[in-house]
Order: sequence, then structure tokens, then C-alpha cells
Amino acid sequence: MRAYILRRLLQSLVVVFAVTTIMFFLFRIVPSDPTVMMVERGMSEEARQALLERWGLTGSLWQQYLRYLANLLAGDFGNSFFYRMPVWDVLLPRIVNTLWIAVPGLLLGALIGAALGMAVGWARRGGAVERGGILIATIIRGTPSFIIGIALLAVFSSWLGWLPGFGMGNAGDATGIARYLRWEFLLHLILPVLAVVIYFIPENLLLMRSGVVENRTEDYIELVRAKGVSDARVAWHAGRNSMLPLITWLFPALAETIAGIVVVEIVFSWPGIGRELVLAVTRQDYPLAQAAFFLLAVMIVLANLAADLTYGKLDPRVVYR
Amino acid sequence: MAASPGRTARRRFWLVEPLRPLLRDGFAVAGLAVLVVFVAVAILAPWIATHPPYEAALTPEGRLMRLRPPSGEHWLGTTTFGHDVFSQFILGFRIALLVGILGALAVGVISTLFGVVSGYFGGIVDDVLMRVTDIALSIPTLPFAIVAVGLLGPSVNNIILVIAILFWRNGARIIRAAVLTERERVYVRWARAAGASHLHVILRHILPNVFRVVFLWVTMSVAFAILTEASLSFIGLGDPSVVSWGQMLNTAFASGNLRSAWWWVVPPSVALVMLISALYLVGRAFEEQANPRLRRD
Repeated sequence: MRAYILRRLLQSLVVVFAVTTIMFFLFRIVPSDPTVMMVERGMSEEARQALLERWGLTGSLWQQYLRYLANLLAGDFGNSFFYRMPVWDVLLPRIVNTLWIAVPGLLLGALIGAALGMAVGWARRGGAVERGGILIATIIRGTPSFIIGIALLAVFSSWLGWLPGFGMGNAGDATGIARYLRWEFLLHLILPVLAVVIYFIPENLLLMRSGVVENRTEDYIELVRAKGVSDARVAWHAGRNSMLPLITWLFPALAETIAGIVVVEIVFSWPGIGRELVLAVTRQDYPLAQAAFFLLAVMIVLANLAADLTYGKLDPRVVYR
Repeated sequence: MAASPGRTARRRFWLVEPLRPLLRDGFAVAGLAVLVVFVAVAILAPWIATHPPYEAALTPEGRLMRLRPPSGEHWLGTTTFGHDVFSQFILGFRIALLVGILGALAVGVISTLFGVVSGYFGGIVDDVLMRVTDIALSIPTLPFAIVAVGLLGPSVNNIILVIAILFWRNGARIIRAAVLTERERVYVRWARAAGASHLHVILRHILPNVFRVVFLWVTMSVAFAILTEASLSFIGLGDPSVVSWGQMLNTAFASGNLRSAWWWVVPPSVALVMLISALYLVGRAFEEQANPRLRRD
């Protein structure tokens, strides 16, 4: 077990290193000259040189790469071209904002989706509940998340006028945790979270449904039924055994949500890390874009690691080698 | 010998056979019907469109016809720039299907190559290719698309390139798993023992038998490709020289008319949902057939 954890950790490190390298060269090779936008016209040669040095853009590509790796190890992502402050200071609050809609959205979506999936999976094969459930779930799954967002905006914000759909409200002079414990913030939170919930229900529903359908013909279900317990309890037996793929799905899903939430953040003008990535790319703010991308990649690697490790804890049949 | 009727019939069989389960599934038939209609509209688009997509409509007095609701002249109204929504919408069918089909074909070729080589040869080749796949899999999908298209420049070619880079990863794994089970079949070993070359075994025995899996992945990839193009265009990274549904929604959103001009927002949204859902319905029928525990009969 310990050897397995160690090996997976090492593997994760290699993956992070590889992604970092790919990203560095992608950012340096593709754009003609990353300095064009920040070096102002008519600037003296010395001033330009000083500026380049400050941003770590001098020397050969190799030297830049090694310096970049060294800075990364020291936790230094550099400075944002646009905000003129450390990248980390820009990104940290954005990540918190993203987590505010990603975590509740994902958990609620998984919970509701699993419950519905159990019902659909346990319903009569070929009946109205099963066929209707699958059809509706597939159509919602085929709806791009920005269209879910647009529909929510149109109904709850424009038509009914119940909920705000832009940004997170004015924080005033509240700082720290108090910024999030405002009634106004919570109101602004509802629609983006709802968009994520609706986005995640169908995938969970279909996953749970296949699990229940596969399990309902197993012998142990017959045994439970023979004990004479209620139908709901029998369904629960099949449901519990179908949850394993769902739980392992949850970790990578969280990472993918944080990454894929970009469009939801844009629809609701939510100042999260995804929206910041888009802004950084369009502003050609490479240090910021690079750091945001790096953080998203690391989250995916960690999530996969967590999924592999918990899988063994939950399923005694898994043997670590 | 090569032209004997028995052989051509068998060769056709593995091309047609994967399609057969689709016809038994009501949802898949509905999905296929939607796809047929969409392809027809895409092909005929230039003849159906009533106006050039970026022609500004003017009133007789020479004023711009902004945000007009649907009328006899403009069937789906006009945009805030006086462009005809119906014509833009119809031309959007072309871009969606073009990106979807070209992207999925590229994905299909790359993932089949990766999956077959990795699964068939095994050993070190498999180890190396699977490590590469692992690394590729930990690249965040949409952020990578945003960064890459942002850096390379927004064009249809670059969007298709990014789609090919992103969606071969899972396909390679799925196809490899299918190849692994085929490789151990008795007839494959006999073919090898009888002196058949690797290439012959792969082309004649492995590929036809994993074709269903490849077909499933290509179908899903069409949906992923269309979704990726739509998302990028909605974000504002679409090819500015063509009209796509994502771009229409982006323009409506950026100009602040998302909430009022329903005739501008609803058609591209509904078309995207119908197209992607239709592809998922077809893909689902494949999956149900491939997994005997989910099959009803």
C-alpha cells in the first residue's frame, strides 16, 4: 500500500513536470514576441532591458526555462503584466470565488442526480419513467452550459426579476470572510450554482442508472428480496453498490468543473479563475494565463490521485500493487 | 479472388453491422432523423439563406434596421447591427457540422492509431504510449482550448487542431481496451501462427472487430467538437470570418441584448441542443449494445 502511494505520488510529479514544460514552450514559442505589448513605443533601450529582466524574459529560451522552473519551485509565479502585481495575489481570491459555485454545484448535482438515477434505474425496463428519464437526461446533457446559464438568466433575472445575474454584488468595505457572508452575495450565488447543478444532474443520473440496472439482476438482490423487505430497501441495496463509480467520478469531476466552469462564470460575470484565464489570454497577460492554467492542471492531477486512493479504501476487492 | 462476392459481402458487413443496433432503438432513430435534417440544411445553406449574413438592412429612409422582431422580410428578425438572423442561423449549420465532422475524423484517426498500436504490441510500446496518454489526460480541456486558440489565433483550422489534440486521449484508452480483448482471441493467434504479418492481422482481424468502438468514439467526438467550437465562440475566440451559433450568442451577449431579443438567441441555442443531444442519443444506443448487462433482450 505504501509503495503504491509513493509510486502514484511520483507519477503525479512527473505528470505535473511534463504539463509545466509543455505549457512553458507553448507560451514562449507561439507568440511572436511576448514583450511587444508591454514594451511601450519610444522607450529607451536600457529601460526596455530593465523591464525584460524584471519579467524574466532575458537570456536564451533554456535559461528562461530553467529560471521559470526554479521560480515555480519557490512558489513564485511572477507578476501579472496587466495588474502589475504578483500573479498569486490576483489568482487566490479568484480561486475562492470559483470554489463558491463549483463545490455546492457539484455536490448538489451529484446528490440529486444519484437519487433520480436510482429511481430511473429501478423503474420498469422500457416503461415511461425509464424512457422519459433517459431522454430528458440526455437532452440536458447535450445542452452547453452557457445555454443553461442564458436560460436561467432569461427566466429568473429578466422575466421574473427574482434574482440578480451579474457579478457578486457590491462588497462595500467588508473584507475577509465577511465579504461572503452578505445576503446580497448569497443572492448572486444562486443562479450560477443552479447552472452547475443542472449541468451535473444528467451525468450522475445516467451513471447511477447504469449501475442500478447492472446490479438489479445480481443474485444478492434476489436474496434481499427473498428476505421480504420493502421494495425501497431492495432498491437501496442496488443503489449503494452502484455508488462506487460515482464517488470516484466525483474527484476528477471537481477538477473538470473548476476548469469547465469558465463559460458559466462568463455568462454570470462571476470573477472566478476561469474568467480570469480568458481575460488574461485576451489581454496577452502571459504570466497570469500561465499560472491559472498551471493551477488548473495541478488540480486535475491531485484529483485523479485522490480518486485512485479512495477507490481502494471503498472497494475491498481492489488490491494495490 | 479478391473480388469474389463472399469477400466483398463480408467486408461490407463490418461497415454496416455496427449501424444495425441503432435501428432497433427508438431514441437513436430519432437522433439519426435529426442528424439527417441538419446535414441537409447544412448542404443547402447558401440556397436557403435569404440575405448575405453581414449585410446591414436599411429602412427606405436609409436608417439601420436594428433589433427588428421577425417579419416577412426578415423571418427571424435582425440583430443590433441590422444583420438578418435567419441567414446567419442557417449558415451556422455549415460551420457546426464542418468543425464536428473534420474534428471527429482527426480524433478517430489519432485515437485508433494510438489504441491499436498500444494494445496490439503491448510491452514497452504500450507502457510508453500509455504514459503519454496519462500526461495528455491531465491537461484541463477547456482552459487548454482557450489558451491554445488564444495564442495560435482564432480560426476554424486552429479550432479543429485543438479539438484533435484534446479528444484523442480518452478514445485511445477505450480503443486500446477493445484491442486487448481481441488480441487474445484464438483466431488471431492462428492467423499469426499461419504466418500472417502484423499489418495483415491488424487490418483484417483487429480493426474490423473494434470498429464498433471506434464508431462510438467518433460519434461522441462530433458532439464534443461542436460543443468545444460553440464554447470557444461564445467566449469570443471564434473564427471572425465565418458565422457560427456560438458567435451569434456571443454577439447578442456582448451587445447586452441576450435578455430582450429572443428571436436572436433562441434559434442558435435550440439548434445546438438538438444537434448535440441527437449525437448523444445515437452514442447511447451503441453503449447499451456494447454492454450486455445493460441490454434488454
